Amino acid sequence: MSTILPILALLIFPGGLFLMASGLVYEYVDRKLVARYQNRIGPRWFQPLADVVKLLAKEEIIPHGVQPELFTLLPVVGLAGALTAALYVPLFGFESAYAFKGDLIVTLYLLSMMTLCLGLAGSNTLDRFSLIGATRTLTQLFSYEAPFLLALLGPALAAQSWQINEINSFSQAHMPMLVTQVIGFIVSMVGLMGKLELPPFDAPEAETEIVSGALTEYSGRGLALFRIGKNVEMVIALSLVSSFYLGGLAFPFPGMSPVLAGILNVLIFLAKTMGLLLFMAGLQSLFARLRIDQTVGLWWRIGALLALLNLLLVIVLKSLGVGGYWL
Amino acid sequence: METKKVGDKFVVPIGPQHPALKEPGHFEFTVDGENVTGATIRLGFVHRGIEKMAEKRNYTQNLYLMERVCGICSHVHGLAFALGAEKLAGVTVPPRAQAIRTIIAELERIHSHMLWLGVAAHEGGFDTLFMYSWRDRETVMDLLETLSGNRVHYSANVLGGVKFDISDKQRDEILKGLDFLEERNHYYLKVVTTDNTFLGRTRNIGTMSHEQADILGAVGPTARGSGVQRDVRVNAPYIAYPDFPIKMVTEEGGDLLARTKVRIIELFESFRIIREILDHMPPGDLTVRMGRRIPEGETISRVEAPRGELIYHIISNGTEFPERVKVRTPSLCNWSSISSVAVDHKLADMPMLLVGIDPCFSCNDRMITVKRENSSDEMSWDDIRKIGIEYYK
Amino acid sequence: MKIGSMLGDIATSLFRKPVTENYPFEKKVAPEALRGKLYYDPSKCTGCMLCIKDCPANAIELITVDKAAKRFVMKYHMDKCTFCDQCTINCRFKCLGLSNEEWELASLESEPMTVYYGRDEDIQFLLDKAAQPDAEPKVPCD
Repeated sequence: MSTILPILALLIFPGGLFLMASGLVYEYVDRKLVARYQNRIGPRWFQPLADVVKLLAKEEIIPHGVQPELFTLLPVVGLAGALTAALYVPLFGFESAYAFKGDLIVTLYLLSMMTLCLGLAGSNTLDRFSLIGATRTLTQLFSYEAPFLLALLGPALAAQSWQINEINSFSQAHMPMLVTQVIGFIVSMVGLMGKLELPPFDAPEAETEIVSGALTEYSGRGLALFRIGKNVEMVIALSLVSSFYLGGLAFPFPGMSPVLAGILNVLIFLAKTMGLLLFMAGLQSLFARLRIDQTVGLWWRIGALLALLNLLLVIVLKSLGVGGYWL
Repeated sequence: METKKVGDKFVVPIGPQHPALKEPGHFEFTVDGENVTGATIRLGFVHRGIEKMAEKRNYTQNLYLMERVCGICSHVHGLAFALGAEKLAGVTVPPRAQAIRTIIAELERIHSHMLWLGVAAHEGGFDTLFMYSWRDRETVMDLLETLSGNRVHYSANVLGGVKFDISDKQRDEILKGLDFLEERNHYYLKVVTTDNTFLGRTRNIGTMSHEQADILGAVGPTARGSGVQRDVRVNAPYIAYPDFPIKMVTEEGGDLLARTKVRIIELFESFRIIREILDHMPPGDLTVRMGRRIPEGETISRVEAPRGELIYHIISNGTEFPERVKVRTPSLCNWSSISSVAVDHKLADMPMLLVGIDPCFSCNDRMITVKRENSSDEMSWDDIRKIGIEYYK
Repeated sequence: MKIGSMLGDIATSLFRKPVTENYPFEKKVAPEALRGKLYYDPSKCTGCMLCIKDCPANAIELITVDKAAKRFVMKYHMDKCTFCDQCTINCRFKCLGLSNEEWELASLESEPMTVYYGRDEDIQFLLDKAAQPDAEPKVPCD
């Protein structure tokens, strides 16, 4: 019995299938919000589910000139990386499943594995659009990775730890770092949009220039797995940023009955991540698409500098002995 | 699909099927990383043989055929044809009909420029501006539907005048709609000229100097964005423009931002002209009697379509059927401005450049033959097939 | 350095009803001038055929049942018609008109696309004649 429960937790709830289903819910909310910002109706609640079911039911066409094993394996590896990263993040009001010192770095690199798989998938073909899309994906990976990591490092420095659940407990006990590290929050939000390839940073997937970027040649199951992987990534990254900057998730609530504490935690999780999604959808609708060279220039000049400034502030304040509730 | 390499560079095809293009056309850009080093253009995918069909239909049927050359500038095509036929027949159209034709032409210009704004925003990834400008464009489409009965292909012209009148209730509706559109377009002008992300996609992209625009023969807002003063409504006024003159709108920048500004500021001119005509509407008949047979002769009529100068050359042989109708559309003149300017831009700028000249592929396609020394004028069906097969090898 | 210039619009759109019209369930009232399906009144027709001469799509045919008594049947091909209104302009006796209420003309079969107008007995007479074995051979559509 004790071996079945972890397996169920891993595959069904709250990992695995439940995580993929919640990815679909988050995709629906994102699309609906962007539509409402643009004064139109938007899809119905089962649209992302219908998309995935349709794609899974279609034939997967393997184009001429690719390596078939790599072609079919890459979506699976990308999705697996995204799902594994869920083990270390406090999701859905639960504490993270496993934790060890330094798991922040491991989580971030597992999330980047998805982008790497996209880049490899694009380079694998002979199609010119995919090659250009893959180049842009990898260029964007190199440019946003450093500022995003630095922005997530701010709370890590304040909590004096590289372990996600320790940083989470630190955020619960102190003032939300949204207020104390505003610059870091903004950089991490923008970095989040770069990681998920959302507009205005969707140059790797620009529909009007290179059809669909690295995913042009994918169809059927491979495309469905990539889409699910992207949605899972969105859920995980949102919970990561909200647990760092928005005051923590999975509160212990000592003295309250476990059921009540559980329900409260779920509500807090939903409120924080959906609030972040509202903000992110607004940012998505406000800007035109940036060219890839403009993205790189923006990130390496402004993004990295701002993140470094944020780190400097945290270090200076910490060394000055500011503590207590604030830091 | 083989990776086509020309020398050491990469060739990226845009079209004939591509999400960037609303209509089929084939562009091949030779790129080196992200930088474009060469561009070629191939058109001809939407050729329908309209000029040949025009010889088998009488002049009234041709009015409707010519309207369907293009969906966005349909009224000016019918207008140019009607003007040509009326000139050959030697009739003068009553002033009220001229005024109504002008109002419909200006309303069409409004709808075309707002459509262009949305499409340009979409190519630049700015979907919000796309959705909002198309939402506001519905106002002018509804106005045209109230006046003429159809949202596209208004069929307002008959040989000798117009089909319908503008009642007082319709007049009030037009004025109310124009007020709403004017306020929204002031807002869009502000967005387009101040939003840094959109400026990053349009400023200093596709810069064409005054001399280049002159030599390459650009027309319409593409030329006016480089300071060239070409506008048929001012240079050779037709219908009601002699009585209600238009002020030409030019910009000096020559880049995509200048062309955008020209189009939006032209909208304000259109609003002003429509209000002025509605205020001073000349009374009178709507049509003048015209015979079914147009006398022999040939004539050229020029009008200003939303994209530039549109020329119709009609040769008549005295019967009900025209001998030859030749259409020269404005988009045809603007293509060379892309291929000469595309080098040294990034690949991501290519869709923006393409949309900057406001291409209308349906207007473009026609067959041009180059006469060589010893070739005959006639080609049999087998000859044409052979040429087609050879071309695609 | 100004970004996010459409912020006012998108913030208010969250609280406004979407502008999309829920088409089959809510329909806007069509304007009076709308050019919909063609209607023909056989009682005023003289059989001059001016409408057919200028139709750009050859969408109407006038079949003479009895010329002296002015009995005609009009065969209207709704799928060929471009709703241009030229026939209405040409008719001097106001027999034709384009409706502004019937404009949802799509159908899954081609039967409803050919409409006969005329007196009922005339239409019946024509249909019977076409159904007889020694009827004239049908001209294939080009």
